[in-house]
Amino acid sequence: MQPPLNPFHRRNTKYRIAEQSVLWVIRLGTYLVLLAASCIFLDIGIKGGRVVFQSAPPFVNVPFLTQKPETLFVFEYHGRKMEMGDADFREFKRINHITRIQAVSYAYSAGGIFPCIVGTVLLVVGSMVIALAIGVSSAVYLSEYSNQGMIVRAIRLSILNLAGVPSIVFGLFGAGMFVLFFKWNVSLMAGWFTLAVMVLPVIITASEEAFKAVPQGFREGAMALGATKWQAIRTNVLPYALPGILTSSILGIARVAGETAPIMYTAAYAVRDELPWQGVQMLHPSTWGNFLFQGVMALPYHIYVVSSKIPQNEYTQRVQYGSAFVFLAVVMAVALGSIILRNYFRARYKW
Amino acid sequence: MIETARDKQFLRPRGLRIDPLMRYYFGSNALLSLVVLILITVFLFREGFGFFPQNLRNLRLYRQAGLEYVDIVRARVDEHTGLSRYLQAIRQKEINRLLAEHVNPGQAVERLSDFDRFSGEFDKTANDLRSLLSDMTEMASAIKEKGGKAEESGAVSPDFKTELVPLLGSFPVYQKTSEKLCRDLEDLLARIPAQPVPGFEPSMEKFKKLATLYIAGFPAAEAKMKSWNPLLPVPWYRAVSSFLFGRDWITNSFWQDFFGVLPLLCGSVMIAVIALSIAVPFGVCSAVYVSEFASIHEQRLIKPYIEFISAIPSVVLGFFGVAMLGQTLRMITQISILSWVPGFPISERLNAFTAGVLLAIMAIPTIFTLSEDALNNVPRGFKEASYALGATRLQTMARIVIPSSLSGILSAVLLGFGRVIGETMVVLLCAGNRIAIPDFTQGIASIFQPVHTMTGIIAQELGEVPRGSIHWRALFMVGILLFFLSLIINYIAQHIVRKFKISIG
Repeated sequence: MQPPLNPFHRRNTKYRIAEQSVLWVIRLGTYLVLLAASCIFLDIGIKGGRVVFQSAPPFVNVPFLTQKPETLFVFEYHGRKMEMGDADFREFKRINHITRIQAVSYAYSAGGIFPCIVGTVLLVVGSMVIALAIGVSSAVYLSEYSNQGMIVRAIRLSILNLAGVPSIVFGLFGAGMFVLFFKWNVSLMAGWFTLAVMVLPVIITASEEAFKAVPQGFREGAMALGATKWQAIRTNVLPYALPGILTSSILGIARVAGETAPIMYTAAYAVRDELPWQGVQMLHPSTWGNFLFQGVMALPYHIYVVSSKIPQNEYTQRVQYGSAFVFLAVVMAVALGSIILRNYFRARYKW
Repeated sequence: MIETARDKQFLRPRGLRIDPLMRYYFGSNALLSLVVLILITVFLFREGFGFFPQNLRNLRLYRQAGLEYVDIVRARVDEHTGLSRYLQAIRQKEINRLLAEHVNPGQAVERLSDFDRFSGEFDKTANDLRSLLSDMTEMASAIKEKGGKAEESGAVSPDFKTELVPLLGSFPVYQKTSEKLCRDLEDLLARIPAQPVPGFEPSMEKFKKLATLYIAGFPAAEAKMKSWNPLLPVPWYRAVSSFLFGRDWITNSFWQDFFGVLPLLCGSVMIAVIALSIAVPFGVCSAVYVSEFASIHEQRLIKPYIEFISAIPSVVLGFFGVAMLGQTLRMITQISILSWVPGFPISERLNAFTAGVLLAIMAIPTIFTLSEDALNNVPRGFKEASYALGATRLQTMARIVIPSSLSGILSAVLLGFGRVIGETMVVLLCAGNRIAIPDFTQGIASIFQPVHTMTGIIAQELGEVPRGSIHWRALFMVGILLFFLSLIINYIAQHIVRKFKISIG
């Protein structure tokens, strides 16, 4: 006996075949994107991981993270191939009484990247403080106080447009205004303000969304109890919007840390021997300005310099992949943190 | 409430209350972003706008000092050099062919000796013209220097007409030289040696044709020199048009600087087109997949992962291109099975295509996120109505969902374009940085040429030029162009979204 005919049974009609094949094509496309990205992560992760981590304790290549960049010298001594940083090389020559030796030098390839890490952290912290201060207050105005008017429309339009301006144009603007017009020269201050201006639209948009997520009843409840508008905002809106603002702003951090073009001519030096706090004495307030008005080394700029100004070979690969790995790891950790935190707060604050 | 009382105590007497104060404080902060946009415009123009008068003076001096006159001769010499190079290219190819046929190098060179003698003689024919050109170059440079100095010190500019007399006096010499050159060339072309390697006759034929064309070009050049007039005024709009449509970006030259943005614009647009033609299919595909077909687990994996990609710093991508991708792509193109693809094998490791691939990876998250939003904004009823009529998922997708979210997808593509064209580090590191308009005659293979871009040139050259020089201002002008380009792209994207918004709930 034949089984009863099910009218909803799936048959391979031509429509179904077409659908399945299209489905597989776009599925393949999607996974290809993920694969391409994974290739980048793996290449930098594996080659850079070898530089930063090691198999013997303490498992992390501490000198690479805590020393200054140095020039690497490669030379042959008594038939052995030797690699040395600048300081070691001079010491070696002094001890062995060598005056003349054939050595190939590679800039930046020995030592570590400590000043770059410090510089990047300083740049990110300073610019985020400025951008958060301005951005959150703008968002308060836009979501709590503003009504539809000409000026508010103009402000919203300018925020949208600022978000699309290329980062190198911000760099030109910073060089024209802060570095030259205000005569701050290439300095932390100039970099802070340039980066803050660049990240401002991200912060404003994120904060506004966080404010909008706070239910209207919170504000109305406070006002009904006799609070003024500012009191209602301060006690009943800001505290609940703050987690949202902070998590979204972390994405802003990733952008600030990742951009190179705006700091090229406003804050970054290719090489600088002093660390930012050298030259500042706590007891002499007149030297405090030195801290603000000094250029720093920055990790993204360092990566640009080592990948374009020195040749690609086995000796330079260490610093190239090492710095790219450290930078990528930090930025990715920040981005991952923001995604995780966002999911956490989304689950926690439900109204 | 206690606080309100305190506020009153402190501020009431002066007519101030904290509430309106806070309002003004927040309002002024919000106004800042408008101010910043205006400041950007102001400061870009402040540094850049002096470019036009300076460029006009630059162009005027170019004509008055006779540099333009000398450049007519220079074009002739350059063309001759180009022909010599063509001969060299033929020789190289023949040698390669011979070596591939296992002829030993000594013999190969011997077999090419006739050809070498010919190309040597060809090269020599232009010697007289070259020495004349270098004389003229010296004369014109001296006049230009005089004129430039007079301008700087504010003194009366020299009388260019009398200064130019010796330069223009070399015209009869030029006539004689060029006549001799033409005669020599015609002689030479009559006795082209037989090719040692069969199969190269066509290229020699082509060479002969090019050389005949070259000879035929002399009367036109002569007429141009005759009618050339140093006193012909350079109109003011040339300062703008030579920037926007100029085909040369030549700086720090001993001879004459040109600031034409066209090669840079071409490079930028070409890279953006390559990047988008990769990123749009992939970005839209994954958006469709995630929003319509993917299971909830896949969604949870794919969406954050693609967002994650957007956080990769551009300089790291650029570094990856320099260290890995460029080399890998070149190795792939050298596989002999793929040699039928136009442009393969590619000669330069860093070219427009390498940069385009990396920029595609940057643009995919932007396009993905915005298109997915657009797809999700399609009202449920649209889809349900379509299913109720018996349409399959594919039909619903292709005929209902995508058309109704097309405006959102289009604006996503535009914003991706804006992001790609404004990107600096990847193109600076991976585009090859050769300032020339790509040779589009090669068809699809032209995407493997190295190019330079607007963003790249600013990043590369701004650090090296003195402030206030014409070069510095030219770079700011490029910045202004970029700025307005981004504003226009943004405006169009917003306009599209607003105009085609679905209003049915």
